[in-house]
Amino acid sequence: MGIENYFTIGILFFLFGAVMSCIVPRKAKNHTYVLSAIGAVNLIISGLYLSAGAQIHIPSIPISSTLEFSFQGDALSGFFLTVISILTLSVSIYSIGYTKNIDNKGLMGFLYNLFILSMYAVILSGNIITFLISWETMSVVSYFLVTFDRDAKSARAGLIYAVMTHIGTAFIIALFLILYKNTGHMDFPGIKTFTASLPDDIKTIVFIFSIIGFGTKAGIVPLHAWLPKAHPAAPSNISALMSGVMIKTGIYGFIRITMDMMGNSPDWWGITIIVIGAVSSIIGVLYALMEHDLKRLLAYHSVENIGIILLGLGASMMFRSNGFYSLSAIALTAGLYHTLNHAVFKGLLFLGAGSIMHATHTGNMEDLGGLIKLMPYTAVAFLIGSVSICALPPFNGFVSEWLTYQSLLLGFKSSSIASKIISPLGGAALALTGALAAACFVKAFGIVFLGTPRSSHAENAGESPLSMVAGMGILAGLCLIFGIFPDAAIRMASPSAFQLTGGSYGLASGNWFLHINETVATLSPISILITVIVLSLASIVFILSVGGKRKTTYSDSWDCGMIALNARMQYTATAFTKPIRMIFRRIYLPWREIKVSYHVKPFFVKSIRYSGEITPFFEKYIYEPVTTLIHIFAGKVRMLQSGSLHLYLLYILITLILLLIFGD
Amino acid sequence: MKNWIHVFSVIDFISVGILLTAIAMNGLRRLESYVRAYIFNSLLLSLLIAIVAFMIGGTHLYIASVTTLVSKGIAIPLLLKKIVRQMKVTRDVEPYISNTLSLTISGILVAVVYTSLSEGIFVTGFSKNVLQISIAVILIGLFIMITRKKAITQVIGLLFMENGLFLAGFSLTFGMPIIIELGVLFDMLMGVIILGIFSVQIKRAFASADLDKLTILKG
Amino acid sequence: MEYLQFMIIILCSPLIQGVIKKLKANMQGRVGPGIFQPYYDLIRLCRKDMVISSVASWIFRATPYIVFTSTAAAAMIVPVLTTSSRFGVMGDVIALIYLFALGRFFMALAGLDTGTAFGGEGSSREMTVAILVEPMMMLSIFTAAISAGSTNVIRIAETHSIYYSPSHVLALSAFLIAIIAETGRIPVDNPDTHLELTMIHEGMLLEYSGRYLALMEWAHYMKQMLLFTIAIDIFFPVGIANTMEVYSIAVSSAAYFLKILFMSVLMALIESTRAKMRFFQLPSLLGVAFVLAVLSLLTYIMMGK
Repeated sequence: MGIENYFTIGILFFLFGAVMSCIVPRKAKNHTYVLSAIGAVNLIISGLYLSAGAQIHIPSIPISSTLEFSFQGDALSGFFLTVISILTLSVSIYSIGYTKNIDNKGLMGFLYNLFILSMYAVILSGNIITFLISWETMSVVSYFLVTFDRDAKSARAGLIYAVMTHIGTAFIIALFLILYKNTGHMDFPGIKTFTASLPDDIKTIVFIFSIIGFGTKAGIVPLHAWLPKAHPAAPSNISALMSGVMIKTGIYGFIRITMDMMGNSPDWWGITIIVIGAVSSIIGVLYALMEHDLKRLLAYHSVENIGIILLGLGASMMFRSNGFYSLSAIALTAGLYHTLNHAVFKGLLFLGAGSIMHATHTGNMEDLGGLIKLMPYTAVAFLIGSVSICALPPFNGFVSEWLTYQSLLLGFKSSSIASKIISPLGGAALALTGALAAACFVKAFGIVFLGTPRSSHAENAGESPLSMVAGMGILAGLCLIFGIFPDAAIRMASPSAFQLTGGSYGLASGNWFLHINETVATLSPISILITVIVLSLASIVFILSVGGKRKTTYSDSWDCGMIALNARMQYTATAFTKPIRMIFRRIYLPWREIKVSYHVKPFFVKSIRYSGEITPFFEKYIYEPVTTLIHIFAGKVRMLQSGSLHLYLLYILITLILLLIFGD
Repeated sequence: MKNWIHVFSVIDFISVGILLTAIAMNGLRRLESYVRAYIFNSLLLSLLIAIVAFMIGGTHLYIASVTTLVSKGIAIPLLLKKIVRQMKVTRDVEPYISNTLSLTISGILVAVVYTSLSEGIFVTGFSKNVLQISIAVILIGLFIMITRKKAITQVIGLLFMENGLFLAGFSLTFGMPIIIELGVLFDMLMGVIILGIFSVQIKRAFASADLDKLTILKG
Repeated sequence: MEYLQFMIIILCSPLIQGVIKKLKANMQGRVGPGIFQPYYDLIRLCRKDMVISSVASWIFRATPYIVFTSTAAAAMIVPVLTTSSRFGVMGDVIALIYLFALGRFFMALAGLDTGTAFGGEGSSREMTVAILVEPMMMLSIFTAAISAGSTNVIRIAETHSIYYSPSHVLALSAFLIAIIAETGRIPVDNPDTHLELTMIHEGMLLEYSGRYLALMEWAHYMKQMLLFTIAIDIFFPVGIANTMEVYSIAVSSAAYFLKILFMSVLMALIESTRAKMRFFQLPSLLGVAFVLAVLSLLTYIMMGK
């Protein structure tokens, strides 16, 4: 079957799934996700074809005499298509079990399929109208999904999300208007032919607007405030999709505008993106460390990983403006590879968090503990996700971060001093975020799964149903596969990288290794894995031969001889991150309050109440003043709407007079 | 010629050492350590001049090296140490900003100097390196003056600036005319003596050497 | 044969630990244990029964193997005596740092696994020290890699044979401070104590006994010798062999052991002349190291060598 067939079947299955979840009787509604899963498989196949260079022709849908919805599919779209579909497949299987007992199952299924279709439409858009309409649809549908739970917290989260995403959309609309006005074309190929001749200041404006517009969707600092509110409020399978692929559509838009359509760019664009990426990743992970709600922690980590992707993108832009095309291709491959990896492991982590919340009904880490014995499969899946996100070998996060390091290192070859200083410092920033992320996930996995349960929520947990475990299992397996066979992912990302940067081979990859030609640096994750396994066996043999057969006794923890150890004596999540909170206190501005009440002052203490918090810098000093200003302004504008009929008639009269005077 | 190559690398090391002593001041906490850093700086400076004198063979440079050694390496530090000893209790340097932040800003200053002076200068090679380092030392000296409270640290910062200035002039002209250098030196010496006397007097009058307290004097 | 050079690191690392302890003792005016004592300790531990906490999970039992084998795998990548080994294809300097990070991650998890307060403290502090050390270590290695044109350890060792410049010395000083932090020596952590407030590494190992403890301790010794070897390979690989000829191997072995001895003396000296710092003073020390690393980068950019 040709690519067109796979594609059409895939889309049809999603539409079918949307319709079915409304019609089918209540008990069977969660099984409609099977349709979504099959659709996703088809789209994975067509995405792989597309990214390998096949051509696809999707017919345009005319809306009026001058406007139409047109679609285009090139290697970049194919790559993102594959990424979205891989995650959709796993999440769909997961949703079969997850949505079994929620309210409004049909609505969820309908919105779910619509959400996915809108994301496909965004990345396959061929002209401005299609892009904007699908972007808006995606935002609106996701708003409904965020507020699905219908409680006060979700409503607030949904409001902030709606406002911020529309601010971003406003900038995107403005940017497209500028492009249309200066090139006279609505369709992307047409715009591309004229962008080379745009004056520099127009290009700069387009660049800045695309950073703000697409950055709001992607979640770069300081436009990220909606992420930690919206992603936790949504149901977990939706959070996985939002964090895994929806924010990537922001990256897609950014690449499409600045690398594809803008063509060659000045040097400082790349450096700016590297700096934004470094700052974004460090701040994202710093705030993630301090969270003790599992989903908010994961949401902040998405901010961090978008920063890492931007590091690769920025390096790519910097190389391209200096003429090093093959290095630019390597850097872009690194960025795209990390996009794929993040979708996979972040999706896995969110699904794991959903599994935990499904079993324990709480997302607060301070109430959990010891879940590894009660939920073994979820624990393994979450562990694989954690090891991947910390970029530890032999999983996928390691390979994409390795590639990003290599790109930043190669940045030294560009000629300007500023890039020679910024690139290695970007590498140092990447090392910092890696270490911070490792601390964060030791905390997350350790406090939630290890030790003893800290509350009755955790004591009564049980393993999740098979479909949820299967969904997580697919992603966990992919984490391993993309880690030890980097060739697969590189073959997916390279064609788009070559196409966008004009480079060609700088990166050799065989079945089991990865080699950068320029610097003779090699990496072979699978040999590391094989070495580790062989050495483990060897060491077991060695130890047994030296020591002989020994007895193992199980008893209480020694803990330097303390007895009557209970769950409250363990480290808490807040305690774990105390040193980091102290070291970075200039950023966190922590405060704490200790209230002591006495029977007889000061000898007999009745109770001690400790509360501590960090100051949410961006929210307190940027968002709240702006929101207050908007409220004041809106209040003033509201005076216009006084409800009096006469006043409205007066408005109409004034408008007519003005039209008469100024109309032509 | 092998001598020359060896000497070139040595010059690099010494100039980086000069920069290091300037930056190291940001991390130090006691006044004696500051004086010690200044001694090292002046020693390295005179060593540098001596080696260049050896390479080029100009006797006036040898004289400059010895003068630097005697005046900046021995005489002025002795004066400074005497002043520090008279401070008695308050031997702590009181900075406005923490040491770590101070170190970071010095690092940024060095990066800025390197970035902006990398193109467009008419000197190359050894002179360019030393020029960049000397300007960095000047800026760091100024930074120390801005961010420390005690009067004596202002003097030390000024002395570092003078060292840096001398090094800059030296790298461009391979030996500032002796007269000018002697003149500047004499000025510095006078400045140190006067400020030393004032510091002690200020301390006696106001019971504090904190420059902030001088603002009481107004109005 | 060149593939077995990593066995040197595995087999000789307890000896290096013993040498450092003996040197420290002599400097402090004591007699101290014999230099082969760590070998006796490891064998004795293997011969003991184990007591495992009932709270712990499979992670506790898997961690010693993961830590030991990841360190050994890292040892395979680094050229010890000769650069003609093909194991370098497994990874480069960045892979080395991340292999250490893998071991550290699981050690920290094992510390939390037993549900004790000491384990949590050890894990928390270990991860915090890692946060402060990693950027600085990465930056100093980056500077060396940039000057050699590659992050491949073998390439760096081959290119740098006769190399000595200010930026290198600065990067080496920063890396030395990183070694002190990573191996848990004074002034960062006290390797000799088993008191709760001064232990970072010991805190995570507290619940281990028997052969698991032997594996963890051995991995610790290996990591120490490996870090010395990395510093030698990157910053002063003078004398390393490029082939398998007997003569160059002999020269290389002599040079290698001389350099390791030098570093052991340096470590012992630093430990004997300094006091352990308060934990919250560590950011100042490691901040200084970071500034050194940045300076080395800037110096390299400015001077070109």
